[in-house]
Amino acid sequence: MGLFVLRRLGVMLLTALALTFVVFYLTNLQPNLEKLARTEGSVRMTDEAVQAWIEQNGHSGSVFARYGQWLGVVPGWTYTDEKGDTRGRCFAIGQDPATAPRFCGLFQGNWGFSTFFKKPVAASLGEKLAATGWLMLAVMLVMVPTSLFLGVLSGMREGSVIDRTLSTFSIASTATPEYVSGVILVALLATAATGISPILADYGLLEPNKTLFLASATSAMDDITFWNFTLPVMTIALYGIGYIARMTRASMTEVMTQQYIRTARLKGVPFRTVVMRHALRNALIAPFTVIMLQFPWLLNGVVIVESLFNYKGFGWTLVQAASNNDIPLLLACSVVAVVVVLLTQLISDIGYVFLNPRIRLA
Amino acid sequence: MKDLKTGAKLHPAAQMYATEHADGKLSRREFLTRTTALGVSAAAAYGLIGLPAPAQAQEAKVGGKIRVAMEVKGTKDPRLADWPQIANVYRGWLEYLIQYNNDGTFEGRLLESWEVNEDATQYTLKVRPGVTWNNGEPFTADDVVRNFARWTDGNVEGNAMASRFPGLVDEATKTLRDGAVVKVDDMTVQLNLTAPDIAVVPNLADYPAAVVHSSFKDGEDPATNPIGTGPYVPQEVSVGQKAVLVRAPNHTWWGGTAPLDEIHYIDFGTDPAAMVALFSSDEVDANYESVGEFIDILDGMGLVKEEVVTASTIVVRMNSSSDLYKDKAVRSAIQLAVDPKVVLELGYNNLGATGENHHMFPIHPEYPELPKQTINPAGLMPALEAAGLKDAEFEVISLDDGWEAATTAAVQAQLKDAGMNIKHTVMPGSTFWNDWQKYPFSSTTWNHRPLAVQNMSLAYTSTGSWNETSMANPEFDALMTQALAIADADKRRELAAKMGTILQEEGYIINPFSRSLFSHHKEGFAGLGHHPSFEHHHYKWSVA
Repeated sequence: MGLFVLRRLGVMLLTALALTFVVFYLTNLQPNLEKLARTEGSVRMTDEAVQAWIEQNGHSGSVFARYGQWLGVVPGWTYTDEKGDTRGRCFAIGQDPATAPRFCGLFQGNWGFSTFFKKPVAASLGEKLAATGWLMLAVMLVMVPTSLFLGVLSGMREGSVIDRTLSTFSIASTATPEYVSGVILVALLATAATGISPILADYGLLEPNKTLFLASATSAMDDITFWNFTLPVMTIALYGIGYIARMTRASMTEVMTQQYIRTARLKGVPFRTVVMRHALRNALIAPFTVIMLQFPWLLNGVVIVESLFNYKGFGWTLVQAASNNDIPLLLACSVVAVVVVLLTQLISDIGYVFLNPRIRLA
Repeated sequence: MKDLKTGAKLHPAAQMYATEHADGKLSRREFLTRTTALGVSAAAAYGLIGLPAPAQAQEAKVGGKIRVAMEVKGTKDPRLADWPQIANVYRGWLEYLIQYNNDGTFEGRLLESWEVNEDATQYTLKVRPGVTWNNGEPFTADDVVRNFARWTDGNVEGNAMASRFPGLVDEATKTLRDGAVVKVDDMTVQLNLTAPDIAVVPNLADYPAAVVHSSFKDGEDPATNPIGTGPYVPQEVSVGQKAVLVRAPNHTWWGGTAPLDEIHYIDFGTDPAAMVALFSSDEVDANYESVGEFIDILDGMGLVKEEVVTASTIVVRMNSSSDLYKDKAVRSAIQLAVDPKVVLELGYNNLGATGENHHMFPIHPEYPELPKQTINPAGLMPALEAAGLKDAEFEVISLDDGWEAATTAAVQAQLKDAGMNIKHTVMPGSTFWNDWQKYPFSSTTWNHRPLAVQNMSLAYTSTGSWNETSMANPEFDALMTQALAIADADKRRELAAKMGTILQEEGYIINPFSRSLFSHHKEGFAGLGHHPSFEHHHYKWSVA
């Protein structure tokens, strides 16, 4: 078991290394550097000024050397301008270069400086991850119990009316992408002009807010309320609910055809007890993996939903980092993505052992 | 008014303008722009034409906060600032020597007054007494001299101020020339220009010209160590999220007490539809700008509309470095195939005034009346055939959203109707601006500038830093050099007429309209008048 975890962590490090290099290489292509120069310097710089900016701000030279700087195995760049002022990777403007360390990369615990946020990457990304964490937590709290309940309910009696109804709902909700369901939910529940809000407002039920829910989650950054957080959570959860419910149903129907279930039924055990005691635990093994797989997927899913609802978390950060070619921020985002994917898979594999004693980790 | 000038000598041209105003030759706005640019204070200027200066409405109530929806971009070294939104944040603590007001006047802020000699080669700047930095140090002539050195430094990539003061720069070192900016005494600075320059005053009022403290390090983010002369300091600047300005602690602002306690800028993205939802759910009190059909919708929600008529405009221009547009006859035919009236209606809901394809508008003091151009769509195809471009494929590029796209689409539709094989390509802002000067045919928005020659010298002289047409007309260049030496707008108008004619004949630009600009705010706020250059003058804002 210990060896297994160690091996997984090793794979994680290697994947992170490979992925960050790919991201680093792509963000350091010449057109991307020019874009960075224009956002950092001035939109209206001449081409010569852009070239000079790239050279004077540590973006020229071998791509491997620059990647090494980010890792902290190559000394950080410095540049001294015609006035004798020195700037560089490892010290702030105005700081004495002599006091600065030579190396300042990941190995020294330095994630770099985000050119978009104008803040150290670690601080700004931490804040954004916390925001997304709240969103994911709320989604999981809604999604997991609802979908398991729906899945078990429809898988109990395959082909019954309940099964058909719930399956239709699950398929419909999982077939609707977030950017469609989000817009529908906003139109239906969160505008003062259409949907059900004006009807409720006519009855005086919506004082002092004019809408049932808020179509923007920006204020949830400071203070999460039912009013501003419901729609983003519902938008993500709806998709996942259908998906997990379908998985649970499939697993449940399979379990219900097993011989031990039939035996229990023939012995005269009540249906209720059969489901709760014999079927449920076995039926939850497959959904458990699916639920763990939802974490990395949520990390992607939030990109659309956070942009749609203006919620400034990890997904929104990823969009901003990419569109502004913020190299250190994008690299940190990739590391976070790798860690989240591989860590949840590790947990899923370990959890599997506990749910299913027949499986052993080598 | 605090800047009433006593005993200073009046510029000779000011009296002349007053006479012209009395004869009805000058509108009030033009009169104010011209005389205040000559160093006459706004109050004195109003006095010259026998009007009382508009008094601040009652004493504004002190206290309260406002939430403004605006993109929060990262603050950066002011001289590198490339968006008014950036400046609107640092405006809280950084002030300007001179301010351009939304009624077209120039007002001394950190300068108490200034005088210009007759051929606009020497400016005498009087520093306002009693101004202190928020760290307690007094603001003196040394600060002015130091900031001029920063502005004129052409070795800094992206320095937006570097090209503004050609008469002060040593061309060899690309820095401030010795003797160009002289400290006469602690409160007086003299500018000695090598060539006449009438744009010094408007340039000092433009948003990259914020005055920074001696401790400011080049290239630094001004929000990290916010030492300034203004009434506020930044409490928080979170890019893409929000910026909060609060009253500077332990600082006596020279202007008295700014009414609002806090100013919150919140970034909700740029989707104008979102603004409607934000106002209706009470998330914001005011917005940065209202555009297109949303102006009517916001009006309908009972919000207060602020309007300003400007020289902000859009130029759909050709670039002669492309083979398609190197022929003057082709360019002219394309220009004359587009009816500005139709473009204004389809592209901008008639929220402006039609233009005349020379990038000058009635708000400019030197605006010349030129003979009307004849719109002639029928002339397009023969011209293209003559140039062998009958079957050529044309493409016009624009930003992907809002009125820029609609305007460009209206131009494209008219050209298509005239028989041209042309398509419209849209690009997102993040890629569009990377190559904005190089597209063969594309639309560019131009912000308002107080003098017509300012835009024209940037955009259409062969050496202009924002020349996007590749136009290089020696006659135009020569006229511009002359025009930039004439402070008298009447004399300059003759040259402006010639330059306007050249621009029309060269046919590079379709300049269909100038825009009125709008913003909205809730009832209960005062002093939020919209500014032609999107400047936010925080100290004028108050809770009514």
